[in-house]
Amino acid sequence: MKANLPYSKAFYPLFVILLSVITTWAHAQNIRITGVITDVSDQSFIPGANILIKGTQQGTTTDINGNFELSAPSNATLVVSAIGFVSQEVSVSNQSVLSIALAADTKLLEEVVVVGYGTQKKASLTNAVSQISGEDITRRPVSNIQQSFQGQMPGVTVTDLGGSPGKSNATIRVRGITTFNINSSNTSGYDLSKNDALVIVDGIEQQLSDINPDDIENVSILKDAASTAIYGSRATNGVVLITTKRAKESKVQVNYHGYYAIQKSNNVPQMMGLEAYMRHQVAAYTNAGLPVPARFSEESIQTYITTTDREKYPLPNTWFDILLRAAPQQNHSLSIAGGNDVLKTRLSVRYQDQEGVIRNFGNKIGEIRLSSDYQVSKKVKISADVNYRHNDTHSPTTNANQPLNNFFHGTLWAVPKYADGTYGLSTQGNNPLMFIEIGGQSRQRTDYLSGYVKADYEIIEGLTFSTQIAGRALFTQQKNYTNSYTNIDKNTNIVKTIANNSLTEVRDNLREYTLNNLLSYEKSIRKHNLKALVGYSQIGNTQTFLQAYRERFYNNQISSIGQGANDGTKNNNGNDAEYGLRSFFGRINYDYDGKYLFEANARYDGSSKFTGTKQYSVFPSFSAGWRISQEDFWSSLANTVNDLKVRGSWGITGNQSVGLYSYYSALTASGYTFGGTAVQGYRQSTLANTDLGWESTTQLDIGLDAAFLNRQLNLTVDYYKKITNDILLNLDIPATVGLIASPQNAGSVKNEGWELSANYRGKANNSSFRYNLGANLSYNDNEVIDLKGTGPYITGSDIDPRYIIKKGLPINTLWGYKTDGLFQTEEEITAYKATYAANTKPGDVKHIDLNGDGKIDANDMTQIGNSFPKYTFGINSDFSYKNFELNILFQGAAKVDARLAGALSEMGNQEGFTHEIFTNNYWTPENTAARFPRPVKFDLRNVTSSDRMVVDGSYLRLKNVQLAYSLPNAVIEKVKLNKVRVYFSATNLFTISKLNEWNLDPEAPSGRAVYFPQTALYTLGLNLQF
Amino acid sequence: MKKLNIYFTGLSLLFGAFALSSCDGNLLETVPNDRLSESVFWKTESDVKLAVNALYTDLDDVNIISWDALTDVAHTNQSFNVQAYIELGTFDATNSKIYNEWQKAYTGVRATNYFLANADKVSFANVDLLNQYKAEARVLRAYQYIKLAGLYGDVPLVTTPITIPEAQQLIRNPVEQIWNFIEKELSESAESLPATYAAAEKGRITKGAAWGLSARASLFAGRYRKAAESAQMVIQSGTYGLYESYEKLFSYAAENNKEVLIDKQFVKDIYPNNIFQTIAPYSQKNGSSTYVPTKALADLYETNAGKNINDPASGYNEAEPYNNRDKRFQYSIFLEGDLLPSGGTYQPRPDSGTPDAIGNTYIATTTGYNIKKYINTEDFANPANSGINIILLRYAEVLLSYAEAKIELNEIDHAVLEAINLVRNGRNDVKQPSITTTDQAALRAIVRNERAVELAFEGIRLFDIRRWKIAEDILPGSVYGITYQDNNDDLVTVQVAVNKLFDKNRHYLWPIPQKERDLNSSLTQNQGW
Repeated sequence: MKANLPYSKAFYPLFVILLSVITTWAHAQNIRITGVITDVSDQSFIPGANILIKGTQQGTTTDINGNFELSAPSNATLVVSAIGFVSQEVSVSNQSVLSIALAADTKLLEEVVVVGYGTQKKASLTNAVSQISGEDITRRPVSNIQQSFQGQMPGVTVTDLGGSPGKSNATIRVRGITTFNINSSNTSGYDLSKNDALVIVDGIEQQLSDINPDDIENVSILKDAASTAIYGSRATNGVVLITTKRAKESKVQVNYHGYYAIQKSNNVPQMMGLEAYMRHQVAAYTNAGLPVPARFSEESIQTYITTTDREKYPLPNTWFDILLRAAPQQNHSLSIAGGNDVLKTRLSVRYQDQEGVIRNFGNKIGEIRLSSDYQVSKKVKISADVNYRHNDTHSPTTNANQPLNNFFHGTLWAVPKYADGTYGLSTQGNNPLMFIEIGGQSRQRTDYLSGYVKADYEIIEGLTFSTQIAGRALFTQQKNYTNSYTNIDKNTNIVKTIANNSLTEVRDNLREYTLNNLLSYEKSIRKHNLKALVGYSQIGNTQTFLQAYRERFYNNQISSIGQGANDGTKNNNGNDAEYGLRSFFGRINYDYDGKYLFEANARYDGSSKFTGTKQYSVFPSFSAGWRISQEDFWSSLANTVNDLKVRGSWGITGNQSVGLYSYYSALTASGYTFGGTAVQGYRQSTLANTDLGWESTTQLDIGLDAAFLNRQLNLTVDYYKKITNDILLNLDIPATVGLIASPQNAGSVKNEGWELSANYRGKANNSSFRYNLGANLSYNDNEVIDLKGTGPYITGSDIDPRYIIKKGLPINTLWGYKTDGLFQTEEEITAYKATYAANTKPGDVKHIDLNGDGKIDANDMTQIGNSFPKYTFGINSDFSYKNFELNILFQGAAKVDARLAGALSEMGNQEGFTHEIFTNNYWTPENTAARFPRPVKFDLRNVTSSDRMVVDGSYLRLKNVQLAYSLPNAVIEKVKLNKVRVYFSATNLFTISKLNEWNLDPEAPSGRAVYFPQTALYTLGLNLQF
Repeated sequence: MKKLNIYFTGLSLLFGAFALSSCDGNLLETVPNDRLSESVFWKTESDVKLAVNALYTDLDDVNIISWDALTDVAHTNQSFNVQAYIELGTFDATNSKIYNEWQKAYTGVRATNYFLANADKVSFANVDLLNQYKAEARVLRAYQYIKLAGLYGDVPLVTTPITIPEAQQLIRNPVEQIWNFIEKELSESAESLPATYAAAEKGRITKGAAWGLSARASLFAGRYRKAAESAQMVIQSGTYGLYESYEKLFSYAAENNKEVLIDKQFVKDIYPNNIFQTIAPYSQKNGSSTYVPTKALADLYETNAGKNINDPASGYNEAEPYNNRDKRFQYSIFLEGDLLPSGGTYQPRPDSGTPDAIGNTYIATTTGYNIKKYINTEDFANPANSGINIILLRYAEVLLSYAEAKIELNEIDHAVLEAINLVRNGRNDVKQPSITTTDQAALRAIVRNERAVELAFEGIRLFDIRRWKIAEDILPGSVYGITYQDNNDDLVTVQVAVNKLFDKNRHYLWPIPQKERDLNSSLTQNQGW
């Protein structure tokens, strides 16, 4: 408030003069008017300002020198506006020369940012916080809210890993990877789930995945320690704060947003052509010294080529063409909001139905949210929210990835379906179409209920006490039913029998309550502004899990658990868990005259996951800023650089992602049998660690915020360095101890990088055309700096990606051999000496003997790729012209690699899908310049974990294009509506990437590509408001 | 209004206080209910019994076959299996199979050490019972050390539950010390163990099991005197004998028969294994054929005339290789034309057009043989749910160990021939002619061959070829499979596309796992690694 006083003072005399002018004239006649528009603060000219004759569409804009010229009635009123300034109405009053001074829009400066346990003026923010509005989120229909963050904010890396409806999979990483689990790894590297950001929705920790995008008012992502430390032990990976929409004081407003979309798989891998593949197989068998199977005899090849009977002579692999389809998705959100000074309330409902691009996968969401605010008295305000969501997911009963795995593996030469309705089977007995259609059905229903009551009491002016009690409950019910069936391939007589139908039923219940008590104080004395906050919070969480199994139901339609065989095959299992978190925290903000800014935070967190002296820990942070542009000496530069702030922060945050009861010394049940009967047994299995403590991250951030060109251009730059210490690792311990290691505090990781974001709001000379260009770029360098003398940790094998966690390298670095092309002659092989396999022949891969010991083994492996992008970027542009709006979003990543595995890398050497890329491009004595080595059936020599399997995963993608049209007011007024807007949007329209030639999505997880594919959406949407 | 405010403040504070106190006085002191605290255990006799029961889970089971697949008698069917690299001789100290066997053995050692360190905390009314439990544990610990000594040679001898820092200081004890320890442990334990158990306790370690293991260990150690003595303890006890049928020895009907000294016990549904799925032919509901027999083993089976197939007088006909052979051939290995659990016949020829045809898929047998031991029709319905006990030590091995020890001592007498001949024709179904020679070298060859065929796929061969130092002769080169007449009536022998290496300077022992040496710099490495 203090800051804008100078403007008001200067503006006041001008306003008086104009007022007196207006009253003098009263006659109307078109006259020619010229004028100049200036900034009241420094008399600089304002280019691009709008001058409109009130009540008409006529007008003009100022030129680069702030001059304008137009013809208007002598008694007209002109509306003058410019971006970043308060609009003004000026009466012409027969003047032909006008000089108008505009005041900077202080509201703009007072843009408010949501931070932990409160809000803060953007101008006085000393922390690194990115935010996006609800509008930006709903622009792009997504199946997972994380996806809508993609490309929008620097330092936030979102990777869309595909996933079936209801289980879509996107990871969000704020400023790199700080931690990892060593003991659990899979084909896409060591488990990085501990890096998930903390998500707080309206003050309560929640899951991000299922929130209705139409309910989101805005999202803040807290990135540096100064902004996150107030969340203490859970804050290391950044904090996503979501504020939901609330009603404002107004008459009842109804909003409807609905869309219908068609989803398509982004990529459809292409199998080698029939003849090319068959001849390739002949070469592979021959090269391996194996007899060529009858199917690949010349006579058979000719039959396969010429036949029209594809039931008898099927194509090798047609799954991608048969099973991927265009699938619909629809979403409808309706909200009703309104209220008066006593009660404001908003009700929203949503229905979403998404079908999978593979049949028999789908998801439905039904949701209701009610939020209310009661102004009980002048000093007391109560808010209450309830949100209930029902999620119903269905899929074939198999691991969701099993059919996808079969697209690539173990299904060659199977007829998808014979004309009589029976299925063909591969030699391994597989047919993904059959599994999807008759394998059985899995259904997961979740009921999610969350709600809170919150009271704010203003004790005295500036001092507010606030208490919030929240609860959330998640009930998951899962039924996985496997059908029994027998299918005989009528051509080959291969039989697939699932002898017993079976049912696994799961109940997984989670209950959690949160209590937040806050006391906040705000006071300004002259130029000293002070804000302080103290708080107390606790969270209690319990989880119960129950699972039951029975088999041999009377038939596949009987699927109630009690109907299965009641004998030794039935099985049940369950467990309970609970944990608690108790926290005290506080914050002080102080600024002097809006120039010198200072903030300190601290949180004291206690967790049931730790014991003894390690149970509690303190997480402090400090930050400071200097608004240079507010200094007197800056005034000469103020025209060019309207705003300039430098800021810095330092702080410590924690991570408590560790299994429960790791410190607890216990015995586990381990039964055995004697003489045919079960006996109980108990044994020690895990080594308890009572010294367990938090992971802690120390982060330094230096940033700069600047505004140029009358605030049309805004720039933010940040540098950060964060070091995570005491990473909770299941370190390898000597196996001679004979027990599973509990996590220990060991290991350190460094993330260092910078972020840049720029935004330009502009307007063409034609006043109806406006545009907004935003770009962001971030760089992150990740390095493991200490593993307490252990490691390296290597996962994977020659057939699955090898990842390494090793001091000096980024987490999950791809690991393997370096290669140097192909051997061309026997002489070359003899001279080279070090070969990977015995009987190396021309056309085999030349592995580099890095340590020069004359043999190729694990000691020759080195880093061959980077699995997490070093650069990520987004370019977002909005254009509006009259009633049209166009939004275009590009997004991408660079310095990232993908590792091929499974069928894609085997080159047809095993029994999988063989990509068309190999067609006529493998080494033969006649084709020595081929890109790929000679095929050798059932042999791994040329498909080892080497740089040949690593593909540059950098990409640039047109993520979203949206074109919207709002009906003109004249039209909608007739139908008593406030707003009618239709839009068309398309996502993932095109991608530039080296992975395109493999038909892989650049966001694909490394490995076998056997996951539910990423989709492109073509959407038609409608917004209505009345 | 003012009043309301006061009420409200009071209410909200009360609300907060309620949440604080009533729900969660012990918010941060959660206690798990899915595991048992150490502090309440080791109080009753039952606790000790439950703890000794759990030790049996560390015994080996289906994995013993994997060791045979590292020798000449069996082959790891899939080239990308981790242990295929060991078979090929292209492995190093980072190989996960090498590590896993090490880790598994020391997990068993830890469990027994922990038991022995705590069992005495409980006072027993019947001290003999406590001593029996402790003796069971000591024998199970010795079992792990026999394996460690055989695979790695010098290994750390750990006899107490150790901490991480202690583990990081361990050094390798010379293998002779390990053998001494095993010998002492087994002899002492035998004193406290009963000869037999009641039906409900079948499967516990007996006196005979301790002596039988002692015979095995001493033989492996080259301590023939002790080996013969220990084996003699078993033979003399009269508790054990050969089961009447070799064919049925690995069937459900034969469980707990008098030939079994040690087995790992399983019960379908309750504590099952997956042996059927692991080794069954591919046609048997996608049996994995993980390990398959080789021509090298097939050729070791004599003809029923008791002669090697290369002997012109043997009566062997290459065109009909399965006729007139030692019955153990067809009882141990699926041969062309055999009835399968599914009711079909086994047709492994590449051109047979059946799922088992060589080359049909990479899962199907590559040699044209599949292991038949432990494949029971009862398991066909649910291949991953087998309840068959896996035999780890049986009387036939004790007999052959006795014979071998006495032959090496050159104390060849009637008892030696009797032991060998009992194995050759002491059952109802295996009737190989008796051995009569008393020539040491001839008998040595005979007993070695007898061990190979009698104990095929039972996890013994790897240790035998190492101590006999014959691996360098029998392992290198290609792996071969069945011989059959093709369409042109030519005899074709299947050759598997692998080329095995064996370096006698280092391959007789596995390397100490690299990971283990990274964590403990005091651990030296074996020669050549």
